[in-house]
Amino acid sequence: MIGGRRPLQGRKPGDRRVVVPRPHSPYFRYTGPGQLTARAAASGPLTARERTWATIRRVLIGPPLASEAEIGERLSKKKALAIFSSDAISSSAYATEEILRVLILGGAAALAFGLHVSIAIALLLIVVAISYRQVCIAYPTGGGSYSVSKANFGRLASLVAASALLIDYVMTVAVSTSSAVEQITSAIPELTDVRVVIGVSAITLITIGNLRGLRESGNIFALPTYLFLGSALLMIGLGAYRILVNGEHGSFSPDLIRQAQETAQPLGPLLLVRAFAAGSVALTGTEAIATGVRAFKPPEARNAATTLAVMAGLLGVLFIGITFLAVNFGITHIDLPERQTVVAQVAARVYGNNSVPFFLFQAFTALLLFLAANTSFNAFPRLAAILAEDGFMPRHFSFRGDRLAFTFGVVVLGAVAASLVAVAGGETHLLIPLYAVGVFIDFTISQAGMVKHWWTRRSPGWRRRLPINATGCVLTAIVAVVVTAAKAPPSLLVLLLIPVLVSIMLLIHGEYEAQTRELHVREDAILPGPHREQRVIIPVNGINRAVVQAVNFGRTIATDVRAIFVTEDTEEGDRLRHRWERQLPNVPLVIVESPYRALVGPVVAYLDVLDAAWPPDKEAPINVVVLPEFVARHWWDRLLYNQSARRLKSALIGREHTVVADVPYRREH
Amino acid sequence: MSNPEQPPFRRAVIALNGGPADERIVRLAAELARPSRAELVAVHVVEIDWTLPLDADVAGRSDEAQRVLDEAEAVAEQVHYKIEPVLLQARDVAAALVDEASERRADLLLIGLSYKTRFGGDFAIGRTVPYVLKNAPCAVWVVREPIVEEQQ
Repeated sequence: MIGGRRPLQGRKPGDRRVVVPRPHSPYFRYTGPGQLTARAAASGPLTARERTWATIRRVLIGPPLASEAEIGERLSKKKALAIFSSDAISSSAYATEEILRVLILGGAAALAFGLHVSIAIALLLIVVAISYRQVCIAYPTGGGSYSVSKANFGRLASLVAASALLIDYVMTVAVSTSSAVEQITSAIPELTDVRVVIGVSAITLITIGNLRGLRESGNIFALPTYLFLGSALLMIGLGAYRILVNGEHGSFSPDLIRQAQETAQPLGPLLLVRAFAAGSVALTGTEAIATGVRAFKPPEARNAATTLAVMAGLLGVLFIGITFLAVNFGITHIDLPERQTVVAQVAARVYGNNSVPFFLFQAFTALLLFLAANTSFNAFPRLAAILAEDGFMPRHFSFRGDRLAFTFGVVVLGAVAASLVAVAGGETHLLIPLYAVGVFIDFTISQAGMVKHWWTRRSPGWRRRLPINATGCVLTAIVAVVVTAAKAPPSLLVLLLIPVLVSIMLLIHGEYEAQTRELHVREDAILPGPHREQRVIIPVNGINRAVVQAVNFGRTIATDVRAIFVTEDTEEGDRLRHRWERQLPNVPLVIVESPYRALVGPVVAYLDVLDAAWPPDKEAPINVVVLPEFVARHWWDRLLYNQSARRLKSALIGREHTVVADVPYRREH
Repeated sequence: MSNPEQPPFRRAVIALNGGPADERIVRLAAELARPSRAELVAVHVVEIDWTLPLDADVAGRSDEAQRVLDEAEAVAEQVHYKIEPVLLQARDVAAALVDEASERRADLLLIGLSYKTRFGGDFAIGRTVPYVLKNAPCAVWVVREPIVEEQQ
């Protein structure tokens, strides 16, 4: 009879039916012959502690999502421009300031060269953008520098690219967040003292948002980019009109001119090169579109290439425009009486200080910068997951959490970036030297990979495309050297960090490969049944139900079963022996006197002795150490029981030819 | 004539046979039940021949029988509606469906019908649907699969 159910009588005498129980139903769903899919209840918490943790996670990051809930939404060009370009476009908020910070060292007059430097950087941007258009076309499945270099150069170069990218993503979060906070404090100076708290809190919120499975495809994410673009272009238009038509110009404050004269360096090529290196941070984020080609609507490659061109054009206009206004209005960074960013000063000048449009512009800029930080939370965990799948990072980077996010990658990125913001005291300027170096190394490797790609494949148009990528490669390589030299010594830290990361990844890969080799089973091998003898050793503390249950279990898996009792009291040992022989006559009991009161050591030593006594011409047996374990009902009970078993278990794990088996005894009520 | 204010049913039994019509009738039933939050009971009957006792462990061990109900549940979940799956063993599918609907006081029994023809080209309705139509105490809706034109 099924499940004890009686047949139910139908309306007619012969019509009977039986309800068949479906015990799997709450936990599993049959999806094919012999195939089950676990339901949410099967993954649910089992213990009280797990339930508490699950509740906390549910409140913080929401209920778990099934894998099938993942949305593979394709983006239109307008939406993609907003989402992928936020990182690049947002860099116009701090790139001008970086140039002016260097040029001021050459005196107030040197600041006029800011425009020339920004035009040179914009030209570089054009070269990089054209080179990356080729990447979009050649790698329609997504041409991050890791995959381009992996396809063309192999392991080492791809790991260098991956390390540079990982650093780049961390820096994007730290720099964008710091800069966003600076935009806020520029508008509300009272918040300056708590800028680190704001920055770290913002990163924490973005981290939690991403753990909840924040999707970047929503319209809400496109909004900040367009709000910033609109207000920034309006600001540039109004400002340019006032400068070019009304002839409005500004002058630097007398204090600033005096300070600049005191510290002035000759305006030589070196200062200009340093300013160029500082401003090249504007190019960060340019590669994002090439990495995300797959997210575009078809034709993916063409749409991505077009979006990249539009993004580069917008970034160029914004960057040159903001620098033009700053130079002509006589604006440079000021730290006293209160810190105000260059872009905030430009906005204050154009829109009016403390006016509504000024506050709106600052809010839009901060929003865009937070969005730029968020893009790394999409890219970093994804790259880390790819590296983990390739065996170069710990496997937990590739596990998706409750909400389909790569939880570990998200948390690591948030923690590292927040630490950087805290260490730098929320100062964007202090973080910038670490930023651009990795980006330009990445550009160079990616472009070099493309040169090799065209040269080896010789696909249609390669003669035209190869020189474009070669030019990009040479230029970005030169800039990488210049940026590293100009921003030394902090920039050298990145150069040190990249080989360290590569070494760690190679080490991890070596470890995983060794493990795979060790565990490998030949595919053509037919596996025979077990052939080694087994013996069971049961450490006991007397005769009780838990011990009896363990002994009975031991008897089911081997004929050679023995119990071992370690004691410092021989009389107690004798008493147990008498009782044991009477109650468990077929199981030998070994009493080990332990005058030094140790428990674990004598048990392990006894196993060693047993192994040594085994005939050397026979294959060593498997020692199954069966541990009777009393299951505690409450967490505090666990402190009272099984401490010895726990110590014994940790001593035996990893011991040759030894298996540890826990036999839990549960209280009936 | 029925009152247009009243919901079309409060409790419906959906008969599932593991065929292609199952998904269609579960979706249809869920959409119709939603406005009045009517109760849906999905029933799959495994027929036990006379060589075995009625309570032999057949359906419980059959992945296929469990899959029929699991897939119906999955379809209901997709449209965000809850169904109660019931697996039965009986000598006769039609009688078990009628008895289950009757015992649960269902006011509707939904049953799918695939389009099959006998040798000679006549439409074959089988024996389950006619029995249900003749004996079910509640309303019966028969949902026939669309006729698929054979490619010439």
